[in-house]
Amino acid sequence: MEPLLAIEDLRTYFINKDVQVRAVDGIDLTVYPRQIVCIVGESGCGKSMTSLSIMRLVPKPRGQIVSGKIKFAGKDLVQLTEQQMSDIRGNEISMIFQEPMTALNPVLRVGEQITEVLIRHRKIGKREAMKRAVEMLRVVGVPRADEIVSEYPHQLSGGMRQRVMIAMAMVCDPKLLIADEPTTALDVTVQAQVLELMKRMRDDFGTAIILITHDLGVVAEMADHVVVMYAGQVVESVGADELFAHPLHPYTKGLMASIPSLDDEAEKLYSIPGTVPDAREFPVGCRFADRCPLVQTSCRERPPELREIRPGHLVRCGLV
Amino acid sequence: MGAYILRRLLGMIPMLFAITVFVFLLMHAAPGNAIDGMLNPRIQNIDQLKQHLREINGLNKPLWQQYVIWLRNFVQGNWGYSFSQHVPVRDVIGPALVNTLLLAAMAEVFILIIGVPLGIYQSRNPYGGFDNTASVVNLILFSIPYYIVGIFAIYLLAIKLPIFPSQNAVGTGPDAGTLMDHIYHALLPALSVALTSSAVYSRYTRGSMLDVARRDFTRTAYAKGLREGEVFRKHVFRNGMIPIVTQFGFDIGGLIGGAVIVENLFAYQGMGYVTLQAATTQDYNVIMATTLLIAIGVLIGNLIADILYAVVDPRIRYD
Ligand SMILES: Nc1ncnc2c1ncn2[C@@H]1O[C@H](COP(=O)(O)OP(=O)(O)OP(=O)(O)O)[C@@H](O)[C@H]1O
Ligand SMILES: [Mg+2]
Repeated sequence: MEPLLAIEDLRTYFINKDVQVRAVDGIDLTVYPRQIVCIVGESGCGKSMTSLSIMRLVPKPRGQIVSGKIKFAGKDLVQLTEQQMSDIRGNEISMIFQEPMTALNPVLRVGEQITEVLIRHRKIGKREAMKRAVEMLRVVGVPRADEIVSEYPHQLSGGMRQRVMIAMAMVCDPKLLIADEPTTALDVTVQAQVLELMKRMRDDFGTAIILITHDLGVVAEMADHVVVMYAGQVVESVGADELFAHPLHPYTKGLMASIPSLDDEAEKLYSIPGTVPDAREFPVGCRFADRCPLVQTSCRERPPELREIRPGHLVRCGLV
Repeated sequence: MGAYILRRLLGMIPMLFAITVFVFLLMHAAPGNAIDGMLNPRIQNIDQLKQHLREINGLNKPLWQQYVIWLRNFVQGNWGYSFSQHVPVRDVIGPALVNTLLLAAMAEVFILIIGVPLGIYQSRNPYGGFDNTASVVNLILFSIPYYIVGIFAIYLLAIKLPIFPSQNAVGTGPDAGTLMDHIYHALLPALSVALTSSAVYSRYTRGSMLDVARRDFTRTAYAKGLREGEVFRKHVFRNGMIPIVTQFGFDIGGLIGGAVIVENLFAYQGMGYVTLQAATTQDYNVIMATTLLIAIGVLIGNLIADILYAVVDPRIRYD
């Protein structure tokens, strides 16, 4: 099958005079139609910058895509003009964010925030757009949808706001939905509902989803394919079942070991020792070396390549 | 909202009452009095005359009685006579209030058409050449006291190039007293007040717009595919104006108090001018009336600010 999205060697840096923060440092990522790809990794590993790069919304002027390709539906998004890119945003690729409170405009009614996407991309009138907005709110499970459209975000609960965000993102029937930690700010029961809703969106509308999270429980629940990121790079990329059955990268294994499990509640919660290296000055060799339990001297000499260890299982580690 | 406004208005009464008591005491604590200043010291039997005048004006009564009498008269609409101008206080204050309101309105309009658009324009291209230049000019204007601006304005536009009058709120020509005449006289004072304030407002507007431009919902707006202009109009502007509009409400109150220095610089017969004259001649009745009106102005301004806040921000509700 043709991939929907193919990122090749993407590099997104923050450049300030002579300091370079290498937020995304040579990412490859492929998303097929209808696929749910989870990106996992610790805070600061570049998950958000990867997704903002796809949207071409990296904070200007310091954040820049310095090289690489983002192929989507036959185009390289990196090469598009701002005008062409804005035709794609909200239309073919949508994005939802972590904080549904701050991601919605506090002074605009919910209905208007949804209709403006339709009016922008679908050349339809206000009334028709409002009808579709109400329909979409019903689809995402917002009760009293016809009343909610004339309410303001602060009048809704966190879960409802995230549903509104999803309605807004889905209303133009995008091919790809990017969700950057969409449930982190919600409480657990609501979290499950929102994840369930996203799965239904994929099933009913055939939308592919990139789901960013640092919760492996969410990954197990949702992912078809998983990309593990560390320090701006992909360290492991594999189907979800295979990942949980045979994690290969020591970092992935560390992440798995740090999931609290019900069986061994007496034991202390494991966490990977040490901290993520500074994105301004990555070490020459393996970026995980300082925290790796299996580290060898050779690890610090050359950067490991991302290699296909088994069919469809890519790992960036010289030792496997 | 109606009930809220009524409640606020009623809440002003005790506050205004306290203000009148305070000003009354302060006025009488000052050395000298209105009678002394009025009389030529070479008049024969001056002490007897002073005594007589004090009696007929009720100034020999205990202070609290004087206050009660003043209050009773004031509430009944009798604001008393001006000691120094020998006309009813209302005749002094009426025109002054009109002049000040005109000056305030013009100054606010200047601020709105200079300061706010400038700040918005700066925020659209921050740290660019224009923004940096404007920021420096703003800082300079901001650090010059506005009466200095007034003096320059008089020097340039009233003396060197005699286009505008350098004093008075009304002219003497055939069109004296018309609206145009009033506006013509208020123009330089209004500009003097507005120039400094515009600098403040443009800084403030620029900062507010830049702050909103960094918020999450602005990113959401871009993520929806809205174009730059739409994002600005529907999202950044609407939110960025909230603090500006509120500040504007507060400033309306302040300006009703009269720009004391500028009014005196231009001998512009507004509230600030009249108040200062009355204070130097210890014209009790005028002082009481002007301070009360100024206080009302400030309180109403605050109320307007709160109402505007609720109008522009749906999260604010008063009920
Ligand atoms: N505006 C910015 N200026 C400079 N550096 C930045 C900026 N935003 C992010 N970074 C850096 O880019 C790197 C990647 O950040 P990113 O936000 O993508 O991390 P993340 O994986 O999404 O983390 P989290 O789980 O905390 O959201 C980090 O090292 C971060 O410090
Ligand atoms: Mg993030």
